[in-house]
Amino acid sequence: MPKSLALRVRSFSFSPVSLGGTFVAILGVTYIALIAVVMSYAALTVEFSQSVRDDGAAVSTLESRYLDTIASITDTDYTTAGYVKPTVFVYVPKASATALR
Amino acid sequence: MRAQFRFRIRMILAGVLLAAVLILLRLYFVQIVYGAQYAQMGDRQFASSASGLFDRGSIYFTRKDGTHISAATLQTGFLVAINPQMLTNPEVTYAAIVAVASSTAISKDTFLANAAKKGVVYIEVAHHLSEAPGQMLSKEHLPGVQVLRERWRYYPGGELAAGSIGIVSYGGTNSLSGQTGLEATYDSTLSRSGDTLYKNFFAELFSDTGSLLVDAKDARQGSLVTTIEPEVQTRLEDDIAKVNERYSSRDSGGIIMDPATGAIIAIVSYPTYNANNLQNVDPAMLGNPLVEHVHEFGSIMKPLTMTSALDAGVVTPASTYTDTGCITVSTERICNWDQKARGLIPITEIIKQSLNVGASWLATQLGQDRFRTYFTKLFGTKTGIDLPSEGAALLSNLHTTEQVNYDNMAFGQGIAVTPIQMIRALGALANGGAMVRPHLVSAIQLDSGIMRPFDWSGSVQIFSPTAVRETVTMMDALNDEILYNGKAKIPTMSVAVKTGTAQLTTSGGGYYTDRFFHSFVGFFPSYAPRFIILLYTDDPRGVKYASETLDATFLDLTHFLIDYYDVPPDRGLPGMPGQTGVATTTVST
Repeated sequence: MPKSLALRVRSFSFSPVSLGGTFVAILGVTYIALIAVVMSYAALTVEFSQSVRDDGAAVSTLESRYLDTIASITDTDYTTAGYVKPTVFVYVPKASATALR
Repeated sequence: MRAQFRFRIRMILAGVLLAAVLILLRLYFVQIVYGAQYAQMGDRQFASSASGLFDRGSIYFTRKDGTHISAATLQTGFLVAINPQMLTNPEVTYAAIVAVASSTAISKDTFLANAAKKGVVYIEVAHHLSEAPGQMLSKEHLPGVQVLRERWRYYPGGELAAGSIGIVSYGGTNSLSGQTGLEATYDSTLSRSGDTLYKNFFAELFSDTGSLLVDAKDARQGSLVTTIEPEVQTRLEDDIAKVNERYSSRDSGGIIMDPATGAIIAIVSYPTYNANNLQNVDPAMLGNPLVEHVHEFGSIMKPLTMTSALDAGVVTPASTYTDTGCITVSTERICNWDQKARGLIPITEIIKQSLNVGASWLATQLGQDRFRTYFTKLFGTKTGIDLPSEGAALLSNLHTTEQVNYDNMAFGQGIAVTPIQMIRALGALANGGAMVRPHLVSAIQLDSGIMRPFDWSGSVQIFSPTAVRETVTMMDALNDEILYNGKAKIPTMSVAVKTGTAQLTTSGGGYYTDRFFHSFVGFFPSYAPRFIILLYTDDPRGVKYASETLDATFLDLTHFLIDYYDVPPDRGLPGMPGQTGVATTTVST
């Protein structure tokens, strides 16, 4: 005849040594897991931060090129390209840039 | 039982010893055999808090659409260092380094001299290698050569706004810090302790838990967002450089500001320098003359004298005076620029024709006490701009009783102010009589990602809006009727202007008769200005009047800003003042 649940619980050992051992084992596993998490976090942080820095440096190179281009356009003498200064300006109302009227 | 127990103990002991030997062997290989290699690998991945890679917040320009463009940022790459004790063949090593770092390495003679210093273990021989060459050199594993990560300050614009952005250098200390410009003013915001990104989280977790949870630096450290618009800045720099070169001036400068807020959109001083290469730069050039140097600006002071007189109620726009061409005050002779008498004329002509005798007459009508009160309000304090080493105006003549001093100050001689003070004071005419605080930084972007805008409000009302409007009407007429004989007029845009030509002072305290300081101020639309522009050129050669040197530059900038910002017309179109219908005009500039 199978034992009842109450009987099983009563027959289970609750000795302080086994409880303490279990607790220490859980703490040990948790400690190792925390170390793993922290180390992974540190490694990823450093990797990501370096990646961000590298991307930032690449962006700054592009920004430098953009600013050089602006300077070049600003300094361009358009008359050397065949353009002439306008002699007559006609001022007209500008249409709205949006669809909202 | 006892023998079995001893056997087990010995087995455990043997196991422990074996583990210890294995660990020692591993440590031997890691630390002795491959120590240098691991150290280099470590250098590339981590940096200790003590010798961390250089870190610093960025400074951004702000485009008109709100996009941020770096004005100052960090560039990453490598430096090359040698250990002379481990160098086997300096000639070959130098050739290998120069092959990838030709522009950044030291000379061969210097390298060989360093290589001969056997008592030294670390000498840096090349800096600022980019990623690919650095990696290439690292893979060669040259004996005695270390290729280490490096970061440095980089200014993508080079010369762009260099004087205002500033520089970073050691400046007599062991750490890099901002020395001039915004780099210096906001050094505490931009500087980093170096341990933010590169730290041992494992150690930090147990040693400095508090700072991981709440770090006060996060609320302080960040990047600067400036009000400088890169394309406008480029345009102004280009125009100012051309003026300076064309007239061989000693120096020139310009400021474009939003008169309602004090936000500086462009600020230029020429000559300037490339902030990425300071090797041959004269240290005297590293300052910012626009906030540090004072000048006698000449006739652009007249609108302030006029507004003071109107505001005080001692004259009205309908007032008249008799212009004799020259007057003698306390034995000193004051004359109009052409020394011609105009007779009985309305005071509006003082601005339109830039009459010194008229300005002196206004000063007399105003009286010394009221003149002192207005000009002390205008120039008696520094502007508080967020740039270091701001100079103070020279106002000693305001504290004298000789009327000739007030007469001279009325047209901008005998009173010396900084360009930034001048544009702030003239900005009051473009802002309903209220003087704002000029500034370059609009917000701090904190490292936490939060944008913290600055509050630059707190304008000071100097003049009544009525007095300002009356003066602006005169400046508006000057542009429409006098400048280029009226051809500078823009039918769809009112523009208020004033030119200034001041005699330069001699070392003996007098004035040159053939050397001048030219200035030009203007704002538009005249009655609700979006921009105020101040230009100057110091000691231009072969030309006498500012109307000859700076008017074309001012008009070029005005048309550029109208187009670039799509400034809507304020006159000349149906339903607007001026005229009805489409405006057409012929110009020659």
